[in-house]
Amino acid sequence: MTRTVKEGGSGRLHPLVDLRMDRSWFEELQARVDRNGPWDDWTLYQLAMEAEQSRRIESFDELQCLRFLNGLEPMKHQTETAVKVLHDMGGRAILADEVGLGKTIEAGLVLKEYMVRGLVRRALILVPASLVLQWVRELNTKFGITAVAQKRAHTWNYDVVVASIDTAKREPHRDLLLGTDYDMLIIDEAHKLKNKKTTNYQFITQLRKKYCLLLTATPVQNDLDELYNLITLLKPGQLGGQGEFASNFVVGKRMPKNEDQLQEALSSVMIRNRRGDGDVQFTKRIVRNVPLRLSKEEMDLYEAVTAFVKERYEESGGSLTSMLSLVTLQREVCSSRDSVFLTLVNLFKKTEEDSPVRGKIWELIEVIKRIKANTKAEKAMELVRESDGKVIIFTEYRATQEYLLQFFRGSDITAVPYRGGMGRGKKDWMMDLFRGRAQVMIATEAGGEGINLQFCSRIINFDLPWNPMRVEQRIGRVHRLGQTEDVQVYNLCTLGTIEEHIVNLLHEKIDMFESVIGELDHILERFEQEESMEQRLARVMLEAPDEEALAEGIDHLGRSLRSLAEQPAASPKVRLSGADGRKLSRAERKQALNRLLDGISQPVEVDAP
Amino acid sequence: MNDKQVQRFVARYAEATGSRIVEKSPMHLTVKLSPAADRELTNRPYYWSYVDRAGVEPETMTYLFVTDSKRYDEQQLRQAKAEAEAAAEPGSLDQAAQSALARSIGFVHGSIQGRTPREDLYFGSRKLDQLFAAARSGGSYVCLFQEPERRSLHPFESVAYTAWLGVNLRVEFACDMKREEIHSYGISLATGNIQENFHERLSGLKLTPKLPANVHAARNGLTHARAMSLIEGHLERKLRAADFSWAEGASRRLQEELDILAHYYDRLLESAEEEQRDAIAAQFETRRQEIRWQYEPRVTVSAINGGLFHLEGIE
Repeated sequence: MTRTVKEGGSGRLHPLVDLRMDRSWFEELQARVDRNGPWDDWTLYQLAMEAEQSRRIESFDELQCLRFLNGLEPMKHQTETAVKVLHDMGGRAILADEVGLGKTIEAGLVLKEYMVRGLVRRALILVPASLVLQWVRELNTKFGITAVAQKRAHTWNYDVVVASIDTAKREPHRDLLLGTDYDMLIIDEAHKLKNKKTTNYQFITQLRKKYCLLLTATPVQNDLDELYNLITLLKPGQLGGQGEFASNFVVGKRMPKNEDQLQEALSSVMIRNRRGDGDVQFTKRIVRNVPLRLSKEEMDLYEAVTAFVKERYEESGGSLTSMLSLVTLQREVCSSRDSVFLTLVNLFKKTEEDSPVRGKIWELIEVIKRIKANTKAEKAMELVRESDGKVIIFTEYRATQEYLLQFFRGSDITAVPYRGGMGRGKKDWMMDLFRGRAQVMIATEAGGEGINLQFCSRIINFDLPWNPMRVEQRIGRVHRLGQTEDVQVYNLCTLGTIEEHIVNLLHEKIDMFESVIGELDHILERFEQEESMEQRLARVMLEAPDEEALAEGIDHLGRSLRSLAEQPAASPKVRLSGADGRKLSRAERKQALNRLLDGISQPVEVDAP
Repeated sequence: MNDKQVQRFVARYAEATGSRIVEKSPMHLTVKLSPAADRELTNRPYYWSYVDRAGVEPETMTYLFVTDSKRYDEQQLRQAKAEAEAAAEPGSLDQAAQSALARSIGFVHGSIQGRTPREDLYFGSRKLDQLFAAARSGGSYVCLFQEPERRSLHPFESVAYTAWLGVNLRVEFACDMKREEIHSYGISLATGNIQENFHERLSGLKLTPKLPANVHAARNGLTHARAMSLIEGHLERKLRAADFSWAEGASRRLQEELDILAHYYDRLLESAEEEQRDAIAAQFETRRQEIRWQYEPRVTVSAINGGLFHLEGIE
């Protein structure tokens, strides 16, 4: 294509604007005149003109992409976000919505709009490996954007490519990408770029791009530098030079000051939507605790292990850190004998050869051998059989996962595993299998960004994590926007064990299962100022001389969590900037950062579709 | 474009390419493509290069183009239900056989037929975009004659025709955002007379690729190149009078962004170690270019299509 920019003044339409005439069409016409043809069809000529007229972009401002999208109806805050990015931010922004409000949709809208307007052809989308295929799928199905997952070197030549940063930054890809001008760069889970010394950060800095979107639900986690670094990727200097930023906005390295100004500066590069209070309309959560009595053999093992753990604790003189792994043993008994066995074997290996502990471990293994059936697994099977839909079973332990896979396979129920260690391809494959053929998914991991399982509405907590946030993550995989059914949560709970207490604590005492993400992490942060939830629980357990004391201890934990939940969050008036020179706790710092984020965020109403 | 317009578009495309419309309802069209249309729409270059080299008779594809998928699906569902009910009574044996078959070889689709891929066509869909592109690739350069309005009774009477260069131009006003205009011009090669909205005028005429009988052409006073540059000049004058506040806004934003960048990098350069300075300066330059690329206001003119039109009368 020849581009003729006319010489001198005649090429200027206006002191600020050049006129470019593309004469390639005319050259071809001339050639056809000289050869006397070939000539095209009159009807097609008219159709071509009709097509161009129908997709002409009539105005600078009006959002065009919506009329190009079939079947996707973005929510109001998503459209508003897209409009703001397009008009007020010139296409460079941090999208920092809370989890589940649809950052991907917002990014898709912006990308589509630019593509429709012919302002973006080449786009590079960098996401964690586990999300590559999901992005490709969403862009293709929801936005009609032909995006491809990067697989081989030549894939980079496609217009819209989705890849993981870790692949992109390695040779031979690196050179290729650094040699390309990207009309648009989108980075998902961008908080991973908070440290500017990392190779990932430096790689991104070197990419050449016109428009750029950074997506993250947690734009700032520990200190303000993280935010500064993110913004520097997007618009260097937006918050001033490094030194100025520090002196204008930061106290004691970490805490924000001049918050109003900072918020104003931030809102020119960042959009954060959060759920409004009380207007969230998710489907219901129906939580059922399923009490189970362990078989005699299983109970024997539980008691033997409990005795063993207490003995070790007393021997160690009350040192907690080394005991956490031992407490795990007790929890494992409540899950499956396989997992206890595995942990014991490892423990055996680690113990000195002449230690008397070895003998005791051996005794425990003898007890394990007597166990023939798994009460919980049988109950889980029953629950799966009762329902004709999909069920996801969560367990904390790999060995339990393996056992359950075997167990279900033996009963002709198709079950697929899901765990953190799987590669991105495999994870995606498992999700597809679960969506399609398998009735059951057995997962050890609930974290992992972006696993969306809205097509499933039943969860079995085969065993429970002790950290309430992890429980919430599990449920959040299923109970999120797009879930149309009420979500059934079954907690398998073995009576007379530590598990009974945990279920009791999470369910009865703090209503864990009913509350929705958001508030919970604020509460936990305050709760965990000195010690993590797990550690506190372990301590209560190990120190309780008897059942009654244990119940009392857990009750106490529940009460203090409750009171934190009921007490209003620190009022924004309270200065936490550490002006009195006292060292700030991690929690206080986080609170201040959260307040800052809340300050620039928009509450939105979200209806369950 | 609404679904009715889409359907009309497809039907006219099919007709123009010699494809056959097998079935038609307000919600869909089933089209057996002509070889020309198949080459444009089916994305199978390997097949076509095989056909071309081996010289075999091509087997073109048939598409089910659904223009109103919601109503189409509802109708299909109703139909399937009715059929199932009709089949339920006498056909129970048949059904048993089907399900036995399904058990042994997996899921069986209703019946096995030639594949008719379904494409939902709506404004913005990829297939429709492909149809748009196909129309464009087959409709960029024309040379046409107006059919005489009335048969001349006199065999020796000749009608005077003027040759026009007609062109549809797309004008893009772009900065970080964009707006477009379409201008359609015709210029008489005889007189240099320029007409706006030329495409509209053409749309009202009957045009044919064949030179009609008893027609004589006025002498061309202009070369094609001269004519084209007259059109460009005309457009340019028109564009000069346009509203440029958008460009002023964009330039202002551009300058602001450049200032922010300079402020940041100047400071960085000041405090940088000697050996890092070049790298930082290079990065500064990259960032500056990016911002220009993003905001710099520009107007681009390119042709959609056009050609030579021989029209009655001397203008």
